[in-house]
Amino acid sequence: MSFNFEFFYQTFFTAFRGLPVTLKLTAFSLLISLPLGFLFAVIRLKERSKVKNLVSVYISFVRGTPIVVQILVIYSLIPSIMASIFKGLDIKMNVFDINPMLYAYIVFSLNTVALLSEVFRSALATVEKGQLEAAQAAGLTTFQGYRRIVIPQAMVAALPNICTVTTNLIKSTSLAFLMTVKDITAVAKVEAAYGYNYIEAYIVIWIIYIIICSLVEILFKLVEKRMKVYKRALVS
Amino acid sequence: MREFDYRYIYRYLPEILPFLGVTFLTVIASVVLGIALGFILAVGKLGKNKIGRFLANGYTTILRCTPSIVLLFVVYYGLPELMMGLFRIDINDIEKGIFVVLTFSLLFAATMSEVMRSAYESVDRGQLEAAVSVGMTPLQAFYRIILPQAFYVALPNFGNSVIALLKDGAVGFTIGFIDVMGKTNLIVSLNYGAHSREIYLGLALVYWIISMVLEYVMKSAEKSLGKGRRILKTN
Repeated sequence: MSFNFEFFYQTFFTAFRGLPVTLKLTAFSLLISLPLGFLFAVIRLKERSKVKNLVSVYISFVRGTPIVVQILVIYSLIPSIMASIFKGLDIKMNVFDINPMLYAYIVFSLNTVALLSEVFRSALATVEKGQLEAAQAAGLTTFQGYRRIVIPQAMVAALPNICTVTTNLIKSTSLAFLMTVKDITAVAKVEAAYGYNYIEAYIVIWIIYIIICSLVEILFKLVEKRMKVYKRALVS
Repeated sequence: MREFDYRYIYRYLPEILPFLGVTFLTVIASVVLGIALGFILAVGKLGKNKIGRFLANGYTTILRCTPSIVLLFVVYYGLPELMMGLFRIDINDIEKGIFVVLTFSLLFAATMSEVMRSAYESVDRGQLEAAVSVGMTPLQAFYRIILPQAFYVALPNFGNSVIALLKDGAVGFTIGFIDVMGKTNLIVSLNYGAHSREIYLGLALVYWIISMVLEYVMKSAEKSLGKGRRILKTN
């Protein structure tokens, strides 16, 4: 067995070129999913309507199917939808010119929205109903009551799960190469195929993923510590 | 571009569904091996040995941060080289399923070790003390008192982990492993990508139904096992 250390060292820096893509995918998907996931959670907790059923089916679908399959479905489904929209609006644009990043954003956002709405739902359920009623009795509007009383308490319960969803999202972005997105994994794959240095390349990205995920976990631990302030209020 | 033809959603299912056997077999094999390794890790985490604790915790931390596809590639390309280098055994021709099972056993073990540890810790220490005080040996107390209670606590997490494993296993096609996902991919490429969205949608439905069935089975198991739990709830 020959382990090419020079290649290992070089790929480490080459693969880092894919890092912005991975981070962008993660950050953007989270940014979209946090408010939407919260909205879905509130819908599922409150309304008894067709909207609620629709949201439930969507969440069940996302949770019940592999993300690889979701990627392949979206990646083959969206272009045809786009094409018919372009045709209908008479826009002269080729669907295949669309940046594959767009598909990646759509897939990972759709996925994360569903997972986060489950997180928020269970987190909101941990806050007693009386809290909101008390807030309203004290003269706060429902929105104020949510923003100042319910959400801070729910966040304490939600944070560890949001951390899990985030690390899972980072790990899932490693599949973005299926949509020809050039993230860390895709860059390493190309480097590896160039000189058959598969093991070195994949160990490199393995280490990079471990570093990113560990950093994210540490970051969440720090935020959790700060959020403990709200938990003390809950106990007293 | 072709029109969306819903008939293609189920048209290839007769060819795809037989490969469910392969998918289930890899899941079952990974679960069995993962539980075995996970048990060892959980013992390491709960034990008094510092080195054992460090190794078990380190393993879990690292594997939790590992995308399944990256580990799959490392195992797929690394293991043959390692076997060649260490034992001069050529395993380049063995079944690809073995790499898939090995990868997911390693990943599942990390999850299972956490599930087992938290389940064991959820059982009150007084239970063990009470069992020993009525004359059971610690081993008897573990099997008859702790394990049944811990098992019940672990069940929902175990079920969720198995469903996650089933879904993660779909990445096996990237090394050319032929399970339901791999077969679907083959059919799509044999059709030169025509009607790929319908075919993939059909596969998504298959996974969806399996996940829902598994979830239902889990819930029922939880309910039937929860019957004797009233005693625990009162204290």
